[in-house]
Amino acid sequence: MAKAVIMPKAGITVESCIIGKWLKNVGDPVKVGDILFTYETDKASFECESTEEGELLAVFFSDGDEVPCFTNVCAVGAKGEDYSALKPGGAAEAPAVKADEAPKAEEEKKAAAPEATKSADGSLKVSPRARTLAEKAGVDPRYAEATGPDGRIIERDIRRLMETGMPVVEETAAPAAKAEAPAAAAKPESEYEDVRLPGIRKVIAKSMMSSLHGMAQLTHHHSFDATSIQSFRRECKAAGGDVGGITLGDMVLYAVSRTLVNWKDLNANMIGDDTIRYFRHVNLGVAVDTPRGLMVPTIFNADTKSLLEISKEVKQLAEAARSGAISPDLLTGGSFTVSNLGSTGVEMFTPVINPPQTAILGVCGITQRVREENGQIKLYPAMGLSLTYDHRAVDGSPASKFVSELCKNLEKFTLLLAK
Amino acid sequence: MPKSLHYGPEEIRAQSTIHFEDIPVNAYNKTVQEERANFKDEDLVRIYRDITILREFESMLTSIKTQSVYNGVETTYPGPAHLSVGQEAACVGQAYLMTPNDYQFGSHRSHSEILAKSLSSIQKLSDDELMKIMEGFLGGSTLRAVEKMGKCDSVKELAIRFILYGALSEIFARKTGFHMGMGGSMHAFFLPFGVYPNNAIVGGSAPIAAGAALYKKVNDKSGFVVCNIGDGSLGCGPVWEALNFACMDQFHTLWTEDGKQGGMPILFNIFNNGYGMGGQTKGETMAYDMLARIGAGITPTQMYAERIDGFNPLAVIDAMKRKLEILKKGEGPVLLDTLTYRFCGHSVSDQNAYREKDEIAEWQAVDPIITYRKALVDAGVAADSKFEDILAETRERMTNICRHAADKEFSPYADFKSDPQVVERLMFSNEKVASFGTDTPRVMAKKEDCPRVQQIAGKSRFMFDENGKPFSKMKTYNIRDAIFEPLIDKYYEDSTLVAYGEDVRDWGGAFAVYRGLPDVIPHSRLFNAPISEAAIVGSAVGYAMCGGRAVVELMYADFIGRAGDEIFNQMSKWQAMSAGILKMPIILRVSVGSKYGAQHSQDWTSICAHIPGLKVCFPATPWEAKGLMQSALNGTDPVVFFESQRIYDMGEQFHEGGVPKESYEIEIGDTNLVREGKDVTILTVGAALYRAVKAADELKAKYGMEAEIINLHSLVPLNYEKIIASVKKTGRVVLVSDACQRGSFLNDIAANITELCFDDLDAPCVVVGARNWITPPFEFDEYFFPQPSWIIDAIHTRIVPIPGYVAEHSPSDVELERRSKAGV
Repeated sequence: MAKAVIMPKAGITVESCIIGKWLKNVGDPVKVGDILFTYETDKASFECESTEEGELLAVFFSDGDEVPCFTNVCAVGAKGEDYSALKPGGAAEAPAVKADEAPKAEEEKKAAAPEATKSADGSLKVSPRARTLAEKAGVDPRYAEATGPDGRIIERDIRRLMETGMPVVEETAAPAAKAEAPAAAAKPESEYEDVRLPGIRKVIAKSMMSSLHGMAQLTHHHSFDATSIQSFRRECKAAGGDVGGITLGDMVLYAVSRTLVNWKDLNANMIGDDTIRYFRHVNLGVAVDTPRGLMVPTIFNADTKSLLEISKEVKQLAEAARSGAISPDLLTGGSFTVSNLGSTGVEMFTPVINPPQTAILGVCGITQRVREENGQIKLYPAMGLSLTYDHRAVDGSPASKFVSELCKNLEKFTLLLAK
Repeated sequence: MPKSLHYGPEEIRAQSTIHFEDIPVNAYNKTVQEERANFKDEDLVRIYRDITILREFESMLTSIKTQSVYNGVETTYPGPAHLSVGQEAACVGQAYLMTPNDYQFGSHRSHSEILAKSLSSIQKLSDDELMKIMEGFLGGSTLRAVEKMGKCDSVKELAIRFILYGALSEIFARKTGFHMGMGGSMHAFFLPFGVYPNNAIVGGSAPIAAGAALYKKVNDKSGFVVCNIGDGSLGCGPVWEALNFACMDQFHTLWTEDGKQGGMPILFNIFNNGYGMGGQTKGETMAYDMLARIGAGITPTQMYAERIDGFNPLAVIDAMKRKLEILKKGEGPVLLDTLTYRFCGHSVSDQNAYREKDEIAEWQAVDPIITYRKALVDAGVAADSKFEDILAETRERMTNICRHAADKEFSPYADFKSDPQVVERLMFSNEKVASFGTDTPRVMAKKEDCPRVQQIAGKSRFMFDENGKPFSKMKTYNIRDAIFEPLIDKYYEDSTLVAYGEDVRDWGGAFAVYRGLPDVIPHSRLFNAPISEAAIVGSAVGYAMCGGRAVVELMYADFIGRAGDEIFNQMSKWQAMSAGILKMPIILRVSVGSKYGAQHSQDWTSICAHIPGLKVCFPATPWEAKGLMQSALNGTDPVVFFESQRIYDMGEQFHEGGVPKESYEIEIGDTNLVREGKDVTILTVGAALYRAVKAADELKAKYGMEAEIINLHSLVPLNYEKIIASVKKTGRVVLVSDACQRGSFLNDIAANITELCFDDLDAPCVVVGARNWITPPFEFDEYFFPQPSWIIDAIHTRIVPIPGYVAEHSPSDVELERRSKAGV
C-alpha cells in the first residue's frame, strides 16, 4: 500500500505552506530522510524529508502551489501501487475508480490550474473583475497565473498574485556576456531573464509596499554621544566570554527595551484604522539580513531580560534566521523593531515600519562630530538614530521625546544598567 | 360539462331537422312622409346635419392627406387616415337611439361612428351634464382650448366643437387630443359619451365588446353594447369566437341566479361596405353570400340577424329600435348586416385597383347626403336652402376646428425633450384598488363554509416539520392553495371580480387550482368559457375597460398563440394608448406544462416579457405565488401570471415561517433571495429553481462552492437591486430557466448585468436554457430542459473551473456556433 507524505505544520500559527521546489521527480527512488521538496511559509523556508520509503509515485502539487498543512503532498510506495485514495480532495467520492485514475488526475490538474497565463491564441485574457481588482491593488495581471476557463485570468488569480507579490525583473546579461555568446544573440529573449521571486522575497515586497501604502510614515533623525557605550563595550570585550560578545547594537536594544516602556504609543500595533493594541511588555523585532532576504525575529519580553540575555538571544535568533531553521512563530508578534545598519557606514536612513507596528528605529554608524565644550571645540563619537513612526498612532512631539530619552539613556548607559 | 345538464343518447340521437327562419333583407320600406309621424322635423333635419359633420370631417382629412391644405389651413400629419366617406348615414342612424349609457366599440374606420355617437349623446344630455363632463375631462384642459376658439351660442355647439377638436387633435397627435395623441386615428374614444375604443386590429373589437356586455350583465349595469366591425373582419377567428362567447347557452341554462338569466346585451353590427381593404367579401374572400346569414350559424334565434340599408338613416334607426327591444328582453345578442359603401380608398394610398370607377359612381349617385336631403325636401320637412345653410355652417365649424388643431402653439405636441418620461408614465397605472365594485359581492355561501377553505386551514404552511422531515403532500400547503387563497378572498372583497377560462368551474381548472370555488361562487362570476382563447382574453380586456376586474385562464401557456392579438395588442396597449384613461386590471393565468409534448410544455415568459405594457411574473414557491397573486389582484395593471405544472404541489421550503395565513403582497418586480452564497450567483425562473437548488447542494457538498440563488419571480418589471448586489459579491452569474435558450428573456437580464456590473464580472454571464428544439417526449426531458448538471457544467466550463469536475453537457464555442448557424 502506497503511503502519503504530508505537508508538515511549520509553526502553531501556520495554516498552509507554499511548495518551493521539488527535489525528487515522480519515479525516483526515495528513502526515509531524503529531501523531497522545499517549502516556505510567509516567513521561512524548510525542507521536507520523506517519511516513507519506495518510489515517488505521484506528486499532488507543483512548485509554487499553496498546500494546507497536513494535506497529502505526494505518494510513495512500490512501483505501480494504487495511490488514488491518497489524492487530496475528491478521493473519498470515487474510491472505486482505479484503472483510469492517472490520466484523469492529469485532467483535473489542468482544470484546476492551467499553466498558461495566455490563452491558446496567445492573447492575454483577464476578466473585468480581475482587471479592476488588479488596478486597485496595483499589480500587473500579466504576472497572475490564469486558472479561469480558456486561460482567462480571474479574480482568484489576482488575489493570489496580491498575496505572493509581484515578481521583480532583473537584467542579468551584461553586454560582454552577449558578445561571448553569439548564439544567444539570435534570441532577443536572452537579453534578460525573468526570475520568479522566491516566497520570502514576495512577502517582503508585499509587506514593505503595504507598509508605505497604508501608513502615514515619517522619520526623525537624532544622534547621541556614543562615548559611554563605546567605553562599556571595551570593558565587556576585555572581560571576554559571553559578556565579551555584547555589541553596541545589543546595548541599543537593551536601552530601547528599557526606554520604550514609558512610550506605549510606540510599543504598539495599529489594528485597522481605528484600533491600537498596546503591549504590556516589549517584544523587540530585530531586523536580520539573511541570504533569502530580510527577516525580523522577535525577542519576546525584552524589557524583562538582562543585557546579556538579550545579547545571547539576538545571536541565536540571527543564526536561526540565516539558516532558515527559525520557527515561524518567532517571526511574528513584535511590538517594535530595531534595524541596525551601523556596521555598513550608513549615516542616516528612513527605515520602513514593519506592519502592524507603529514605529521602527534605525541604528546608524558612528561619525566623529565636533561640539563646543567650555569654550573649546571638541571631537566626540556621534551615533545616529533614525526613528520612523506612524503618524496615525503617534505625533511628532512624543516621538522626538522618546528618542531624546533613548539618547540620554545611551549616553549614560551604565546608569541605565543600574536601574 | 355540468352535471345539471343531461346529454343523453335518446335525445341526441333522435331523428329531426334543423329549421331556419327567413332572414330579412332590406325589409324597411317606409317613406319620409310616413316617418314624419314618428320623428319631429327638426330631428330629421338634425340627422342630416350630423351626416354633414361626419362627411366634412373625413373630407377635411382627405384634403389634408392628399393636398396638405383644407379650406386655407395648411397642415399635414404622418399618421393613418382610414376614412369612412359614404358610411356616415349608417353611423348616424345607429347612434340615433343610443344613450351615453350604451357603449359603442369600433374599428380602424370609425371616425364617423365616434362622432355620430358623440353628437347623439350631446343631443340627449342637458347643458349642465355636458358642462360637467367637459370640465371633468383631463382637468378641463380640452374645454379651455375649445372656449378660446371664438364665440359660441350654446353649450351644445360648444360640446360639438369639443368633440371635433378632441378627435382631430388626437388624430394630429397633439397633447390636447382625447388621449394626448397617444391613441391617434384608430384608437380615439370618449367614455363619457359611451364612445368606447375603436381598434386598429380588424375585428379586434369583437371580443372586447363581448367583454363589455359581460360587464354590464354581471354587474347589473343598464344599457347595451354595440360592436361595430367591418365585413372584412368576418374572416377573423376571434370575431367568430366572440360571437359564440356572447351567445353561450349557459346564460340561459346555468346563470339561474336572480336577474342573471338571459342573453348578453350586445348588438354585433357589421358595417358591410363590401370590401376588406381591397378584398371583395361577397364573391371573393367570403362564402356567406349575404352576411346576415351568419347569425343562423351561431344560435337557434339566428341572432335575429337581418340585412338593412345603411344608406338610409331611417332604415337603420328602424332596425336599431327593433333590435334594442330584443336585447331588453334578454334575448340577445343580435346581429345586423348594415349595408354601406366606402367612396374613398381604404387609405389615401389606395388606388382603387380592385373596383371600377363606374361602381363608385353608381354608389355616389345614391349618396345619402344627396338622396336623404332630397327625400326631406320632397316630403316638405325643410326647404332646400336649409340644407345649404347646414353645409355652410358645418364647413365653417370644421375650418375653425382644423385651424386650431393644426396650430402647434394652440395644440402642442407632447414635449419628449423636456419630459422624456411622457410615455413611460403611461405604460402602467401602478395603482392599488381593493375593489372596483360598490355592490356587495354575490356569493352562495360564507367563505368559511367553503370545504376547500376548511381543508387548507388544516395544512402545514411550511414543507418540513421541526425535524426537517417533509409533511405528506396532502397535508402541505402548496402553490395551488397559494393561488386559490388570495383569489377567494378577492371574490368576497370585489363584487366585479370574475374568473373564467376553459374548464375552470366543475373541473376546478385543469390543474385543480379553483377546486372548491364553485361551492361558494355563482356561475356569473366563475364560468367555463368555450375553447376560445382570443375571446377569453379579449372579453377580459373589454370587461376591464368598463371598470371590472377579471382573472382569466388559458390552461397551457402554449395557447397564448391563440390569443396573440388580445394579449399583445389589446391587454398590453390600452392603458398607454388611452393616456391612462383606461385601467386594465386583468390577470391572465397560464400554466407551463410538462409531459405533454411540444405544444404543451413551453415557457413563453420571454415572449410576454418582450411586449411593452404587460407585467409578467412566474412564482415558483407558495410564498411567492400567494404574495404575487395578491399583489396582482390588488393592482390595476395587466399581469401575465405564469405557473408551472411541475410544481403545483410544491410546499414552501425557503420562506422562514412558511406561507403566512394573513394576506400580504409581494411587489411585482421584486426578486427572491432563496439561498445566500459567496462563490457564484444562480438566477432562476420558474420550476428551474429546484434544479438550481440541487446544483447548489452538489456544488457545496462536493466542491465546497457556495452558490447564491435568487429566484426571479417577476420578469417585468424587474428590480435589479438584489441581483447587482449579488453579482458584486460573487462576480459570477448563471441564469437558468426552462425557456428555449434562443431569445430567452434571461439573455436580456444577462446583457443588463453585463452593462451594469461589467467591472465586477469575473466571467461572462452564462444563460442555461432549454434546447432550441421542440420539446421531445417526457422520457427525454433531461436532454431538453436544464438539469442540475448543466448548471454545474456551465460554471465549470465558462466561469470557474472546478477541480475534479468533468463537464458533460456544456457546449464548446465551436458547438455553439454550429448550433446557431443551423438554427437549432
